[in-house]
Amino acid sequence: MTAIMDGPEATKVSDVIVCRDVHKWYGDFEALKGVDLTVEAGEVVVILGPSGSGKSTFIRCMNRLEEHQEGRIIIDGIELTHDVRNISEIRREVGMVFQQFNLFPHLTVLDNITLAPINVRKWSRDRAEELAMKWLTRVGIPEQADKYPGQLSGGQQQRVAIARALTMQPKILLFDEPTSALDPEMISEVLDVMRDLAKAGYTIVAVTHEMGFAREVAQRIIFMDGGQIVEINSPENFFNNPTHERTKLFLSQILNH
Amino acid sequence: MASVTTTTSSKPPVQQRGTFSKKFNLNYFLQDNISGSRGLLIWVSILAIVTVGLLVQQFNNAPGRTWVIFGVWAVAVLGTVVGELFTLHIGATRWLKENMFNNVSNSLMTLFLGLFVAIIGSGLWSWGVANATFDPALTHPDVRTFDGASWGVLWGARKLLLTGLLEPEHNGRVIQWTLTILGLWALSFIGTRESTRETGWGTWVRRIANVGWVLSPFISYIFLAGLEYTEPFIDTRRFILGTVLVVAVMAILWFFKVIQLNPMTTAMWVLAWPAAYLLWRGITLVSHNAEIFTPIDVDRWGGLLLTVIFAIFVNILSFPIGILLALGRRADVQGIPYWILWPIAIALTAWGLYTSTFGNCIGTPSFLCENVNLWATSRNTVEQIIAFWPLLIPLATWAFLRSFDGNFLQAFSVLFIEIIRGVPLITLLFMAIIMAPFFLPEDSQGLSNFWAVIVGYTIFSSSYMAELVRGGLQAIPKGQYEAADSLGINTLQKYRFIILPQALRILIPPLAGAVIGTFKSSSLVALVGMIDLVGSTKAIIANSQWLGLRTELYVFMFVLYFLVSSIVSWYSRRLEDQAGLGVR
Ligand SMILES: Nc1ncnc2c1ncn2[C@@H]1O[C@H](COP(=O)(O)OP(=O)(O)O)[C@@H](O)[C@H]1O
Ligand SMILES: [Mg+2]
Repeated sequence: MTAIMDGPEATKVSDVIVCRDVHKWYGDFEALKGVDLTVEAGEVVVILGPSGSGKSTFIRCMNRLEEHQEGRIIIDGIELTHDVRNISEIRREVGMVFQQFNLFPHLTVLDNITLAPINVRKWSRDRAEELAMKWLTRVGIPEQADKYPGQLSGGQQQRVAIARALTMQPKILLFDEPTSALDPEMISEVLDVMRDLAKAGYTIVAVTHEMGFAREVAQRIIFMDGGQIVEINSPENFFNNPTHERTKLFLSQILNH
Repeated sequence: MASVTTTTSSKPPVQQRGTFSKKFNLNYFLQDNISGSRGLLIWVSILAIVTVGLLVQQFNNAPGRTWVIFGVWAVAVLGTVVGELFTLHIGATRWLKENMFNNVSNSLMTLFLGLFVAIIGSGLWSWGVANATFDPALTHPDVRTFDGASWGVLWGARKLLLTGLLEPEHNGRVIQWTLTILGLWALSFIGTRESTRETGWGTWVRRIANVGWVLSPFISYIFLAGLEYTEPFIDTRRFILGTVLVVAVMAILWFFKVIQLNPMTTAMWVLAWPAAYLLWRGITLVSHNAEIFTPIDVDRWGGLLLTVIFAIFVNILSFPIGILLALGRRADVQGIPYWILWPIAIALTAWGLYTSTFGNCIGTPSFLCENVNLWATSRNTVEQIIAFWPLLIPLATWAFLRSFDGNFLQAFSVLFIEIIRGVPLITLLFMAIIMAPFFLPEDSQGLSNFWAVIVGYTIFSSSYMAELVRGGLQAIPKGQYEAADSLGINTLQKYRFIILPQALRILIPPLAGAVIGTFKSSSLVALVGMIDLVGSTKAIIANSQWLGLRTELYVFMFVLYFLVSSIVSWYSRRLEDQAGLGVR
């Protein structure tokens, strides 16, 4: 990755994600048990935690793919309520990248990327395609624009998914284990793109198991377990002197693995 | 150097043409073909006995034909064996070997099927061609041949077969309509072929064809039923009622957050009905003055025409209704809350109980409340109990809230689909014809049987279509919905651009099956007195001129239904190829 495009214009230097005492139930099962988190503009936050600890549920609440039942979530000054207008406004500002890429298999790469800008942002096709090509170039695969997702490798697909999220010009990016479905040799190409975005000043919340990436890029690490945030710490402290017993256990399991 | 030698020697030895095959081994041959397993041995023995038996029997019955078949078979077997043993294969013997004589049991099977086809073919030939007559004048029982077919009936009764009771002066309109539909098909065909080649105009041709198909029930109606002009030009009641209905639909969709409104789209919704109504009335007036599309009584349509019209109308109408029902069944909308439902339910119950037990219709329109005083008029215990029917309202409300959480769309779709699928088509058709008058205002001239059957059949077909489409929707991974949501795409766009295109691609084969099924099942309408292809066949057989010529007519129907069904399935395979289903 070479050239760095401008990040989103620095808005108010304040908190773009505010979660207060968020509770979420799946039926009788409480997946989030009162989660508090504040993320500042331009900050990169990595969420770690054992499987089933509620990491995905938490970040999916931030763009209403899941609905929280108690507490408040305020994204970029807009509170997530039942009001669809708020939800669609927030979704425009929040891009999401999934573990399984979730590209639209019946559309070409270019159409995958321009669909939302044209229909949601109401841009002209030309404008949308121009920006789409810019992002495809930035993630390193401009030559794949006319192919279908099924013709690309996993790493390329995930980079298309990132370009798709970014062409909507979001202020916030959510990543849910973006490298977990990739073959080892493709992981780094996706991590490079993410590193690049972090430098460009995007607000990023990422769930990942890439400890090297977390240590290098994150400003804060959130450790979740059992539907709660157990520890929030800087990367050095988190990996070198974790304060909490469960964090130590988690780290030892990972390191001994 | 050693490696070079190994590569060359590891190639299979090229065998000289015309030398004895080195691969042949009698033991292996016997094992592969006859003695390999007990099952194989038994199968080959039975096949040999049956084939030889049939051969001997055929030598006695039809020696000439059988000699020819046996001779050709023997020569082919010999050629294959020689070609195989001495590596002498040419194109033809290789084809024969691969397709007919690749082992002993298939060689026997080839002989058996050859004899079998000859028996059937010669029977059909002597009945259908050699001993048949083709002259329409020779179909009367007094002059008819009884050795073979009297194909003259097809020509003699062509009018009944093709258009039923339709007056001959309307034939021109039927032909124009047929050409229109064929033209539409040609447009679709060209459009889909060209648009896969990324030429700009192909897409446009396809779009025009699609609009044509959507409008085809109206086009067909104009050609085949004509336009009846009635004064006044604008019926105020219909004008206003239609507008109100469309606006109500808009409001409901907006309320359930299916669509979002801005001044532009609101104006389009509000003006949709007035524009369509004025257009329709305009066409009617023009056609009336120029006497182009004079009215035709739809109940006189018949024969193949009626069958095709049923297929087109029912398929085209039930497809969008089916999609809507499927979406409704999956709709995850905000339910009507209990604090709205219960007061309404209780008020209705109270009002119902009051009128049915003590009441005498205070302040209610008389058509709603005739004889509602059930209690006063009851004659026995059962009727007394029936007077308390309004108590069912709270029960239904409770069930609705409990099962569907107040989700009206879902409740309607589920009940519609499940109830209709639980009823045989023929029952629905009878109900449509018999019960339609009860739902119509008393002063109307009544619904023609044709429209009643169309309604009944469409209802039936759409509930099956709905379940098909729902299956397709369920095959789309949850991630597709989530990706669309996360991009801020609204519900309508999500289905339009992402979910339905993928679901319909998966659904091409089952939808083709449904189209064929609807086409063939339309023959059931003969049972409710419609003169469709089957109905007119029955009428023809009963006619003294063609009395009892059922075989000819059934063969004709067989060929016709088979042809149409084959064309539809061929077309669906083509669509499937174009949609790139297999490639993905
Ligand atoms: N749709 C769902 N229905 C019911 N339970 C769910 C659902 N999604 C997640 N859960 C449960 O919620 C918990 C948290 O899940 P998740 O957020 O996916 O964990 P993580 O991403 O940390 O592995 C798990 O116990 C999981 O079984
Ligand atoms: Mg997860």
